[in-house]
Amino acid sequence: MDKSLFRYIWRHSKRDQLIIFMVVIASLPFYYMSLDLPRKIVNEAIQGRAFEQGRQTAKFLDISISLPAWLGGHRFDFFEGFEVGRLHLLFGLSFLFLFFVLVNGAFKYWINVAKGALGERMMRRMRFELFSLALRFTPETLRTVKSSEAATIIKDEVEPIGGFIGDAFVQPVFLGTQAATALLFILMQSVWLGLIAAAVVGVQLVVIPRMRRELLRLGRMRQIASRRLAGRISEVIDGMEAVHVHQTARWERAEIGHRLYELFDIRFRIYKRKFIVKFLNNLLAQLTPFFFYAFGGYFALQGRLDIGQLVAVIAAYRELPPPLKELIDWDQQRLDVQVKYDQVVAYFAAEKLLAEHAEEEAEAQDMELVGPLEVRHLTILDAHGSALIAGADLDLRLPARIGVAAETGNAASVFARLIARRPVEFSGEVRIAGHDLTEIPASVVGRRIAYAGVEPILFPGSIRDNILYGLRQRPMTSAEQSELDRRLQEAKRTGNPLDTPEADWIDLSRSGAASREELDDRIVELLGRIGLRDDLYRFGLGGTINPERHPELAERLVEARERLHRRLEEEGLSELVEFFDPDRYNQHATVAENLLFGVPTSQSLTGRALAGDIHFREALDRAELTQDLVAMGARIAETMVDIFKGLPLGHPLFDQFSFVHADELGEFEKILKRLGMSGRGGATREDRERLLALTLPYVEPRHRLGLLDEAMMERLLAGRAQVREILFRHGRNDVRFYEPDSLNPAATVRDNLLFGRVNDRIADARERVRLIGAEIIEEMSLRAGIERVGLDHQVGPAGRLLTSPQRAAVNLLRCVVKRPDILVVDGALAAFGESRADAVLDMLTDETAGRTLLVVLSNERRADMFDVLVRFSAGGGAEVRRREAAGSVPRDEAASAAAE
Amino acid sequence: MTLDSEVLSLRQVPMFRDIDPSRLKLLAFTSERIHFAKGQRFFSQGDAADAAYVILDGCAEVVLDNPGGPVKVAELGRNDLVGEMGILSDSPRSATVIATEPSSALRIDKRVFLELLSQFPQMSIAVMRELANRLERTNAQLLSRSPRPV
Repeated sequence: MDKSLFRYIWRHSKRDQLIIFMVVIASLPFYYMSLDLPRKIVNEAIQGRAFEQGRQTAKFLDISISLPAWLGGHRFDFFEGFEVGRLHLLFGLSFLFLFFVLVNGAFKYWINVAKGALGERMMRRMRFELFSLALRFTPETLRTVKSSEAATIIKDEVEPIGGFIGDAFVQPVFLGTQAATALLFILMQSVWLGLIAAAVVGVQLVVIPRMRRELLRLGRMRQIASRRLAGRISEVIDGMEAVHVHQTARWERAEIGHRLYELFDIRFRIYKRKFIVKFLNNLLAQLTPFFFYAFGGYFALQGRLDIGQLVAVIAAYRELPPPLKELIDWDQQRLDVQVKYDQVVAYFAAEKLLAEHAEEEAEAQDMELVGPLEVRHLTILDAHGSALIAGADLDLRLPARIGVAAETGNAASVFARLIARRPVEFSGEVRIAGHDLTEIPASVVGRRIAYAGVEPILFPGSIRDNILYGLRQRPMTSAEQSELDRRLQEAKRTGNPLDTPEADWIDLSRSGAASREELDDRIVELLGRIGLRDDLYRFGLGGTINPERHPELAERLVEARERLHRRLEEEGLSELVEFFDPDRYNQHATVAENLLFGVPTSQSLTGRALAGDIHFREALDRAELTQDLVAMGARIAETMVDIFKGLPLGHPLFDQFSFVHADELGEFEKILKRLGMSGRGGATREDRERLLALTLPYVEPRHRLGLLDEAMMERLLAGRAQVREILFRHGRNDVRFYEPDSLNPAATVRDNLLFGRVNDRIADARERVRLIGAEIIEEMSLRAGIERVGLDHQVGPAGRLLTSPQRAAVNLLRCVVKRPDILVVDGALAAFGESRADAVLDMLTDETAGRTLLVVLSNERRADMFDVLVRFSAGGGAEVRRREAAGSVPRDEAASAAAE
Repeated sequence: MTLDSEVLSLRQVPMFRDIDPSRLKLLAFTSERIHFAKGQRFFSQGDAADAAYVILDGCAEVVLDNPGGPVKVAELGRNDLVGEMGILSDSPRSATVIATEPSSALRIDKRVFLELLSQFPQMSIAVMRELANRLERTNAQLLSRSPRPV
């Protein structure tokens, strides 16, 4: 990016800037006309100057240009105009005025839109460029860069720059000409007064920016301080576990409090400075009229200046400050934005970035990484300068299964990273299949080498998305042309990529699967070999199915539902589950579930928010349930206050059992008190809503407060019909109703299968139902389908919704499914524990048959399964044991044999 | 049957006799009400002790699995508390409890029970008193059975 903001703007937007500028110039005559017309209307039409000397008609719409006297005073008539009467002239001129107002408005609209679009385009370009730069951060930089700071820069700090870009060139030119014209006018009236005005303007233009320099310094400090604040906050949030474990919230509070104080201090200094500058600015502006009155009056009294001129000068001076002020503001903004821009550019300075590689060029190249692996005089130092690997030579033939071990330190891991082309500083030479390792293009590395490290890296999305991430190197199809045209054009104008995420990015050919379904099956199988099949099945049961995408599975699931119901009946176990029945109140479901009889898909119908939803409330009112439910809520609140009162706040029993949170207990006590009163001080609308919300999760057999009798259930059932009708009438589509013979796409697979609620009052009901359900899934061979649904399971930010072996499995499979020539596994097995790690290792050897697998071993327990074992000694030398030697020969002999 | 009637049942249990009604209500509210069919087990000998039960209705028997076959050692009826020793001593179930007719019981979760004990000294004292009473009874029984003092 350019060092100077203006050069950057000009380089990328000169065409647009010039167009806007020309339109601004073109709009000026119209603007002038709209200013001039009122005078004409008053003078000519109303006061009737055009009709002096007894003329009955006047010219309207005559177009002529009179040259000034110093150009000969010639007059050109372009259009004679119409001869019209006085009334017609008045209306004609008035409509002409209206016309110019509209034209001006249109100009202004166009200019604003064009400026806005220009700014937005530049902002898009900058954000994209910054993001592209961030992708090129060197590993050293990445160690110190805070993700949230980079995010703040790309998101927030660029914003004001974008706002300024539209005005960057147009504004100063436009305002400058305006101010210069006014000044020129004054000068022409009186040189002295003009000089005074010019002097004051000069002071304004010189002194004020100087004073603002300090302001800029403070602004820079503010920017850095607030960026650090953002970074710090996200650090604390990310490390919340440690904060809780060590109870250091107080220290964190103090720390943030201190930062906030510093920020406040800077901002306060900015304010003081800013208003001083403003004060001075105003003073200077007010000073000039003083000079005009005093000296201008003096000149007038002396007769060197006539009164008319003085009045004209003062009038002209009135025109001077606004553009001047705006100009100074523009200058302030310019400096402000320049500071921000400098900061941003400094953050992404060239020395922090990796060299750019031409993507397209590398795209064409491809090479198989099969053949000899030659390592010559390889030396790698650790951070303290001592040798991890010293002058090692190796000759291996790929493909091979290579185990790498080290006697001390992490030489093995560093070597693995080197082979995976992770950034490692080394001296010596490494060649794979004759190619110098460092010169293999990055795209080939991406395709042909995979590296699974200790820390799994997961992105928010489904398990499937994460596993297939490595296959997303380039789009396989281009998306619909027509729909893309506009987007492509915009992308071209702003230097953004022409690829779209909608295209199919999954490179099936590299995975070896013929279709996405087959790929899914393969992933399920691989996860099974890692021992995660049950996890996947559980995820699947908790997942949802889109019946349009999986019509067959949806249909079979409804079939399974019927079979489950039949089975329960046949075995006389139907009391274990109360099925959803549109015409019956389900005792074991909550009041909310019964009223809604469906699954909400938006926040406004979920949980307590439901009590505040206007359409839901309308339905309750219609069914005349509101009053009763509020009363019921009051009884619940009363009971809660009664039985939970003695417990200290934050007691675990609260969260587990209570309808109200610990800190709400007092509030509900007050609400109950208010409910007892009437009129002022009585219960408010909000109080009622909160009480109503308490009834929503109520289940009579579970909570046993004796609040729901048969009659009330009947009425709630009637309410169900009202809710459905009214939500439908208002076009609400954020609830999916339960239908006995079709799949509910918003409900989980488990709920769709069960289609009811388990009767928890019967001992072991849940377990018994689960077993029967599992039986039916097995009978109907639905398990595989459900496991595939499990692939849709969301992993959460950084995979936090998964356990550590699950994360490690996803991370590892991402490397496996793209079938690299060289798969480097460095510590990725650690999360699995010893016995499972063996199964994973077996899976890896099977999956990499005919390709290279390089595993960093923490011990040599399973060394015999590798063709070659590379061991780095404490001195940094490398020894190689081939399988023939490694298997049975005792270690010492093998080592000495290899050393020879 | 509602919470209030369960509180009445709990009051009949000697261990809970002296506890405040609102505490008993909390105990009842945080417990589950479970129905057992005839022949269904509350728990089996050797299971982890995860809950105590107050029988609200019906009856059950306590059976010891002996090498020679199951031996019935006690019968339980309405308002009897069972399984509390296991959760207090943190040891596996020492016997099996089976419903001899359709019964319903209040299942007091171990975690919740201990939580309440640690929160309300009044409850702890009531439990201790009950345990002390039992120990005394057992001692008395031993004394009466042994032919002469040892």
